[in-house]
Amino acid sequence: MDGFKERLNASVQLKLSFVLFLAISVVAVAAGTFSFISAFVEAHELQDDVLYQIAALATRQDIPSAVSQNGIRLDDSDNDSTIFVQYLGGKGRHNALALPGDLSEGLHTLGVNGKTYRVLIKATKSGPKIAIAQLTEDRDDMAYDSAMRTLTPFFVLVPVLLIILISLIRKMFRPIIELAAQIDERSEQDLRPMPSHDLPTEVRPFVRALNRLLERVAESINTQRRFVADAAHELRSPLTALSLQAERLDQAEMSDEARSRLKVVRQGIERGRNLLNQLLSLSKAQSTERRAESAVSVRSAFRKVLEDLIPQASAKGIDVGVLEGPDAIVRISELDLTTVVKNLTDNAIRYTPANGRVDLSVTTDTNEAVVTVSDTGPGIPASEKSRVFDPFYRILGSDQMGSGLGLSIVRAIADRTGARVELGFTDTAARTGLTVTFALPLYNPHHSPSAN
Amino acid sequence: MRVLLVEDDTMIGEAIQSALRDESYATDWVKDGLKALVAIHTQRYDIMLLDLGLPGKDGQAVLKAIRATNNPVPVLIVTARDALEQRLQGLDAGADDYILKPFDMPELLARMRAVLRRKQGNGAPVMSNGVVTLDPTTREAAVMGNESIRLTHREYALLHALLARPGAILSRSELEDRIYGWGEEVESNAVEYIIHALRKKLGSGVIENVRGLGWMVSKNA
Repeated sequence: MDGFKERLNASVQLKLSFVLFLAISVVAVAAGTFSFISAFVEAHELQDDVLYQIAALATRQDIPSAVSQNGIRLDDSDNDSTIFVQYLGGKGRHNALALPGDLSEGLHTLGVNGKTYRVLIKATKSGPKIAIAQLTEDRDDMAYDSAMRTLTPFFVLVPVLLIILISLIRKMFRPIIELAAQIDERSEQDLRPMPSHDLPTEVRPFVRALNRLLERVAESINTQRRFVADAAHELRSPLTALSLQAERLDQAEMSDEARSRLKVVRQGIERGRNLLNQLLSLSKAQSTERRAESAVSVRSAFRKVLEDLIPQASAKGIDVGVLEGPDAIVRISELDLTTVVKNLTDNAIRYTPANGRVDLSVTTDTNEAVVTVSDTGPGIPASEKSRVFDPFYRILGSDQMGSGLGLSIVRAIADRTGARVELGFTDTAARTGLTVTFALPLYNPHHSPSAN
Repeated sequence: MRVLLVEDDTMIGEAIQSALRDESYATDWVKDGLKALVAIHTQRYDIMLLDLGLPGKDGQAVLKAIRATNNPVPVLIVTARDALEQRLQGLDAGADDYILKPFDMPELLARMRAVLRRKQGNGAPVMSNGVVTLDPTTREAAVMGNESIRLTHREYALLHALLARPGAILSRSELEDRIYGWGEEVESNAVEYIIHALRKKLGSGVIENVRGLGWMVSKNA
């Protein structure tokens, strides 16, 4: 019961339905009772009138001899309302009802032979009194029947009214339920205003307020993203100055010790540059701006990435290459695909020990291409798998100078384009080596790009 | 070679200017857009390095103003903004290339040389990636400091294709296209055979194999 009360208070719809149901029921019962009682009383009065009319008829005319001898029964066709007409006292010796002879004129309710009768006593012109009697049981039955008939509309119409009301309430609340479903279905990237024109005026202010909030949230997210992008841009000039000056310094005369220190400085600058580029890349990957998707060759993305990364791999003696197999044409923006492959390959080269191996490959099934980058490095333990996608997260004990943003960038692009990223082991038995798969839709020339 | 450097950041400007001087470029350095326009009207330059974010007159506007006077000076844009659109606007406005901050001096110098080579168009200079040089007139190749070696027709064609874009990976079919004329029958393993021969003549490190994709000569040796 408490549960129901709680639900009742929580839901306007339920509350409204319940209260209306109660109100209608109470009114229906009250109106029904009133009309039943009044119809019941009315029917009794009507029957009393009938007795009077019969009495008037009987007293005005000479009563047939049959009556004077034995009294008569007036039966109606279905025999459930019999009226007796007879003289009181000695004149009718064989009367159907044994009534006491000393009854006064007027209406009486009497018990005769264990049955109750409604009796009208009236004096005739000639002297003796005449009695018109009717079984009260019959009268009650008739009154009950007619009273019941007045209730029929209530029995039929109240449920109809309730059904109409409840369906009406449901219908009125449907826009709100649909609105909730629409909001539920949205991705967290989607901060467009909700349409408010089809909604009832009572709900519209609520939706408008929601839209204003969405707008402010979008604005603040944009401001934040812009800040990251602007900050990174602003850092570029000083970093350029620093790196060019360090380069100049390298050409100056200096001791071997100074030169080795300078080398460390330049490595530091290089790291800063890398971090800066990755930050910009992440902010671009997270931006909600739609990129034009087109048919992109995965192998050409592999080629572009390896052209950039071969020097890095060669320096570490890592054998990086592409596994034989047919090319796949996928539907994505070329920049996104290149960024994903580049970050995955860069990570693989970075975390694989010298003389290791990094393989890039692509396989296809009916409507999906799976891009795989696997290495012979240490791999990522299952316990770390969910965390490695967080920005700046690095696995403990890895002394690599990565930006810590590579997988975050890949995840951001996957989220935006609807691709799937999964991490696994290259050697599942030994639980070593990282294999990252990136599954994305194949390009379908018959598929209209506007539909997506 | 006379270079006009337009850069408002003093540290960057100084570094570029002295590096350019070391490379024997005569360098004039101005710090805002209006001075850049004055300089370009009074002096003939072989190339202009233009920063986009300038006080006075924005780099984009400077470029437009220069192109409006039909001045064909090669322009290399140096920018910290990397929004694709802005880059494209720069190229549309008549820039010959752009380089993104932060950059290394060797990269800037290489881009400058590339722009100058394209503009001057007096083709077929000696090709080089810093390790191996190829002379189109004699079809001779030389590895740094060693004697020139004469190449066969196909060896030359293959090395020429690779040296045209150092750092780019060329696939087997792309290389076959370069070394066989139309209608010539392609022998299987011909590419491997020629590369083997080239490595024998020039040293094994000259041409790198990228597993699954093709071959390349390194870019920044």
